[in-house]
Amino acid sequence: MTERTRIYSSYEKQLTPFSTSLVAEFRRTADAVGELMTDDELRQWADEGLELAKQSWRSWEAAGEYYRVTPQILPLLGNDGFQRWAKHGRELAELSSALAASFFRASPGTLPAVGPARMGDWMGLGRLLYKGTWRSASLAVQFFDGSPHLFDKLTIDEARVLVRFVDALCDRSYDLASHCLTIAPQALDPLEGDDRAAFLIFAEALASTGWADARSYLEKGPALLAHVQGVQRGRFLELARELARREGRQAFSFFAEAARALAQVDHETHGLLLSLAEDLVERSPLAAMEFLKTASTALDRIPVDTIADWHSVGSDLLDQSVDGGEAYFRMESSRGEQVLEALSSRVELSRVADILRMYGKALTGFDVAVHSSEALAEKGIGWVEGDAPSTEGSAIFLPPHVEEFTEKEQNFGVYKVYCTHQAGHLEFGTFEFLFEREGTIFPNLRFDAEKQRPAIAPTAPPIDSDGHVDAPGEATIPLHEPLTDMERFFDLFPDRKLASDLFAIVEDARIDVLIGQEYGGIRRPYGERQGRELDRRPVVDQLPLRQAFVENLVRASLGGLDRIVWPEQLLGLMADAVGVLETLRQPQATVEDSAEATLRMYRIANEIPNVAPELMDDWMQMEEDNLNVSPMTAESMGQDASAEMPQGEPMPYESPQPVDFRGEFKPETVQMLMKLRQQRNEQGQASPISPEQLRQMLEKSVEITLADMAEADLTQSSELFLANLIKELSQQQDQKPGQQKPMPLKDGQPVTGLSTEDDEHALPVEPKYFFYDEWDFRAGDYRPRWCRIVEYPVAEGTEEYYDQTLVKYASLVGQTRRQFELLRPEMYRKIKRLLDGEELDFDAVTDYAVERRARVTPNDKIYWRRNKIERDVSVAFLLDMSASTDEEIAKHERRYQQDDFDDDPRRYFSWWMARRAQELLMPPKRIIDVEKESIVLLIKALETIGDAYGIYGFSGYGRDNVEFYVVKDLEEGFSDHVKRRIDKIAPVRSTRMGPAIRHATTKLQAHDSKVRILFLVSDGRPQDHGYGRDRTEKEYAIHDTHQALMEAKRMGIVPFCLTVDRYGHDYLKQMCQDIGYEVVPDIESLPSRITTLYRQLTA
Amino acid sequence: MTTESTYRQYAIEEYVVTTEPYYEPVSDEIELFKAAYAEKIPVLLKGPTGCGKTRFVEYMAFMLGRPVTVTREADGVVQGEESGMPLVTVACHEDLTASDLVGRYLLEGDSTRWVDGPLTRAVKTGAICYLDEIVEARKDTTVLVHPLTDHRRLLPIEKLGQIVEARDGFVLVISYNPGYQSALKDLKHSTRQRFMAIEFGYPPRDLELKIIAHEAGVSDAVANDLAKLGEKVRHLKEHGLAEGVSTRLLIYAGKLIHEGISARRACQVAVTWALTDDADVQRSIEEVVSSIFE
Repeated sequence: MTERTRIYSSYEKQLTPFSTSLVAEFRRTADAVGELMTDDELRQWADEGLELAKQSWRSWEAAGEYYRVTPQILPLLGNDGFQRWAKHGRELAELSSALAASFFRASPGTLPAVGPARMGDWMGLGRLLYKGTWRSASLAVQFFDGSPHLFDKLTIDEARVLVRFVDALCDRSYDLASHCLTIAPQALDPLEGDDRAAFLIFAEALASTGWADARSYLEKGPALLAHVQGVQRGRFLELARELARREGRQAFSFFAEAARALAQVDHETHGLLLSLAEDLVERSPLAAMEFLKTASTALDRIPVDTIADWHSVGSDLLDQSVDGGEAYFRMESSRGEQVLEALSSRVELSRVADILRMYGKALTGFDVAVHSSEALAEKGIGWVEGDAPSTEGSAIFLPPHVEEFTEKEQNFGVYKVYCTHQAGHLEFGTFEFLFEREGTIFPNLRFDAEKQRPAIAPTAPPIDSDGHVDAPGEATIPLHEPLTDMERFFDLFPDRKLASDLFAIVEDARIDVLIGQEYGGIRRPYGERQGRELDRRPVVDQLPLRQAFVENLVRASLGGLDRIVWPEQLLGLMADAVGVLETLRQPQATVEDSAEATLRMYRIANEIPNVAPELMDDWMQMEEDNLNVSPMTAESMGQDASAEMPQGEPMPYESPQPVDFRGEFKPETVQMLMKLRQQRNEQGQASPISPEQLRQMLEKSVEITLADMAEADLTQSSELFLANLIKELSQQQDQKPGQQKPMPLKDGQPVTGLSTEDDEHALPVEPKYFFYDEWDFRAGDYRPRWCRIVEYPVAEGTEEYYDQTLVKYASLVGQTRRQFELLRPEMYRKIKRLLDGEELDFDAVTDYAVERRARVTPNDKIYWRRNKIERDVSVAFLLDMSASTDEEIAKHERRYQQDDFDDDPRRYFSWWMARRAQELLMPPKRIIDVEKESIVLLIKALETIGDAYGIYGFSGYGRDNVEFYVVKDLEEGFSDHVKRRIDKIAPVRSTRMGPAIRHATTKLQAHDSKVRILFLVSDGRPQDHGYGRDRTEKEYAIHDTHQALMEAKRMGIVPFCLTVDRYGHDYLKQMCQDIGYEVVPDIESLPSRITTLYRQLTA
Repeated sequence: MTTESTYRQYAIEEYVVTTEPYYEPVSDEIELFKAAYAEKIPVLLKGPTGCGKTRFVEYMAFMLGRPVTVTREADGVVQGEESGMPLVTVACHEDLTASDLVGRYLLEGDSTRWVDGPLTRAVKTGAICYLDEIVEARKDTTVLVHPLTDHRRLLPIEKLGQIVEARDGFVLVISYNPGYQSALKDLKHSTRQRFMAIEFGYPPRDLELKIIAHEAGVSDAVANDLAKLGEKVRHLKEHGLAEGVSTRLLIYAGKLIHEGISARRACQVAVTWALTDDADVQRSIEEVVSSIFE
């Protein structure tokens, strides 16, 4: 037995009591590393393990790990290092053997990455997580176990931050901490370099404030961070951390939203945006984040170099008021909107549509609407471009916005040219083309062309003089007569596409010329536009020959005669065509002349084969002189093409590149639409057009490419098209009912409102939408277009309610009526002592004489006159229809009664039964019922006195759904409909008073009366979802309501608030500063009180 | 005692038209008026403001061979030197009372003196009495003219206990603008049906061109553009504008242009701003102006 064997056996003996596996580990390792150690060292090593094993009852496991990993650690650390390592292990074992075990277990995997020098730090991190509880122990164990993987990715310093972060989470949830620790290596992997540390530092900040978001942050954060430009990530995180430190909870959502917003803008600008945000962060980290969030929206509208200007205004605002600045950057303030609008050079159609509409109306004299081209494309009736100007005969469609120039004025100019051109089509009768009508310039070739038309034409048969349709030869489907004159005209051409393009060119040219003649002032901007378009044209001598021909005509039509490039040998043809175009440039030219010109050009174009440009070698830039343009009207023109045509394989013809300002031009479709509209209006029924006819037109027409509209076969798409068409037509009809049918009359009175014609099948109620600003008292500014009012008429119930109420309050009704009758003023009142009047006032004259005698300066006011005094009052009653009005009035009193039962269940039960029975017989009265009764009485009284009145209710939920119910509109007369609607007044939801008041104010504003009153009846304070910073805040709602009332007052309306909330004084004092209000504590007295109040208010 | 105030002095503004007022007939209104005058039928002139109603009356007063005297409402009329036919114009307003038209007592020293109102004067002298914007006047005032407008041709002066018979030349002309008055201010039928009505509209473009060119002294090209502007802006009636632009305003614009103001500016001040306060409508009109004028 050697010394070694002895040592071994002695230790084995000592280790045996702990665990046999421990002995086995010891033995295995000893065999492996024993050679490397001296006996002393061996003993020391073995003792170390023994000590570990002895430490606690499960510490032998740690010892086992210790022995097991020794062969890997020892060579790695050397003897000294090994000693330190073992010591660390023992320190951990003193805390928890599991900790030590995992430490040892992870060491072989971890230490190569961490390095011997930072070994202590590593151990320290694990120990930091241990708090003496089993949960903390298991977390620490998890840390050590995960360490090999973790340090694969992280440095020890980064890990330190991670551990601090996890540690901070431990205060909240160990599960969360543990989860975060698990996912950390993967999550952090995509990040690089310094980002990782910054990321973790923010995580740490987040852990202490918004710990619940920690997990999402770790999971999603790196991906979000990737949106930010690489070099700027650190700064971004720095900002986020500042926010977390100062604002707490919402840090993560701001981080996420800002990162996403930054993804929307050019990465190069991130630096600038972050600098601007950093400028704000000192004063308000929230504002800084809001700035980043909205920057992308702002940059959509303004160029990058002006964002600093927008920022600086907000920054100044922030100095004055933090809330104001934050609202500014949140884009929830009118000021922000104004500044943005001022900086933006982009012109939005929505902002100028009204101006353009009136402009178009002025030019054409028609009721043209102006809409976005997108709307036209969505209709699916043939138009596909969402941003090209166009018209469909009744409206002008323009691109949703223009931002071609850096100046707003110039961009508006673009709109103006677009609009003028489209209005020109309407004003100068493009769509009034009649096949039979003669032109004023060109002799008529159409009739001849129609007669000569080859029979193979795949179109409608020619019509002979007496309108008889010749049956086509072998056509299987019966061909219809052309629907429109335009269709008939295009039927003349075998190549419809070419004809359509040529017609567009000449007609647009005609319109441009007429506009130039009629509107001298727009000539210059118009010319500039044409010049711009010319610069954009494609290179001519790379187009096939026929297309080059058409392209040259486009250029000529834009006034670019000097831009024509054309083979010299075919000069004659070009000159002829341009000659035709020039001939058309006369003030008397009509659309029929355009048609004739098209016919002539088509003949020329038809001569020209569409061959590759390379076949011609004599392309040259034309001068006006060598083009030798002479007016061409001769019928023979184009016939004598003497030039040699190049021979070659013709290519398929393609339309020329569109001219932007002329937009989409579909004369055939427009004429068809106009015809349908007309027929519909005359006959008042569905269009007489058959799907079959329509399909044929679609097949023929080149204006509508069905493939663009729907991915379906022709029949289906044409059906879809037809459906869209019909829908479009009926919509237009609905929009102008007054023009097409007389107002329905009922009992000799025109009936307004929705329940008009027949009540059997009620028409679907189309709500109307209105937008209002809301006052943010913190920001001291309005939030633009913040609330959406949805206006509905109240559904109709029965008239009984109204009549019953009158019977119920018969005595009160009589009394009120007498009182109101007294209010009826005399028509004329004698006013005395005037400087001038009808007659001398004897009293005054006597005084005058006496004073004169007494040598006192006499009073000259010695006349009297009768002055007409008209009662001219309009009033809007605004009823609170919030859910709280559902409350029973009697509830309050009943509570007292309940105390009387002395816990005797039987007595209580019998009382309860009795009450139930009574309730079934007569339901308890609710606040809303009293409100309704009051309204009935008021109506009765108001009808006596003849004041104009409107009755409205309001409720809703949230800012985009403030419901505004119309019981009786101001303009509407009192009718049975109103009676029935009163029946249906019922509690709905919340109380957002501000927008309702504003809407009622607008209604009153439109009513021209001397005295206008807004009478608000409510049962409590204003409150709604989002009507304040949080659910409990009341200030915001009260301020907004107050502001709305003040707005009304400023417009000369007398607001008055009546509440049945007996505790209403608290907030009414604030809400109705400088405004009349009254609290009616006894709800039952509301009907009599409200009439009295009204009387006093208007007397 | 000289305590009487100056405003008791009845300052009289008076001018006599010695030259023929410029008037371009649109249709047969001159013949109609002459016929009505000969047959003593009262005339109602309907039409929007500034379309030439007053000018027409002036022209007719001249054409009927007499010099004209115009006074303001509530002021007395002193007859012209020549025994011409005066034209008494009263601009009606809502406080116009019967005594404003008929006359009243004034205090003079220690006694009172009766002063005839403009209507009485017109009746006595046989003038054309032109009540401008009659609907503005109180209804009790309008009734006053009833006995004058039928076969009786009498003016009762209740305070004096007199009845004045109208002299031969007297004819009553009233004007009213059916456009902007509300239903409340409509003319009573009992009043309406005592007059023959001549409707005035804005003149057609070529005629308006002539009028503008003559009145403003601008070239035909400018006048044409102004007339064109008038036509376009009138399309906006009921669509932002209560009333189309009047020929009068177009003439003002023309006059400004004549004086050297740039065309766009002249139209802005004389047309756009004069017509409306609505910023959007103003902008729309300005766009039309800038399309027409360079």
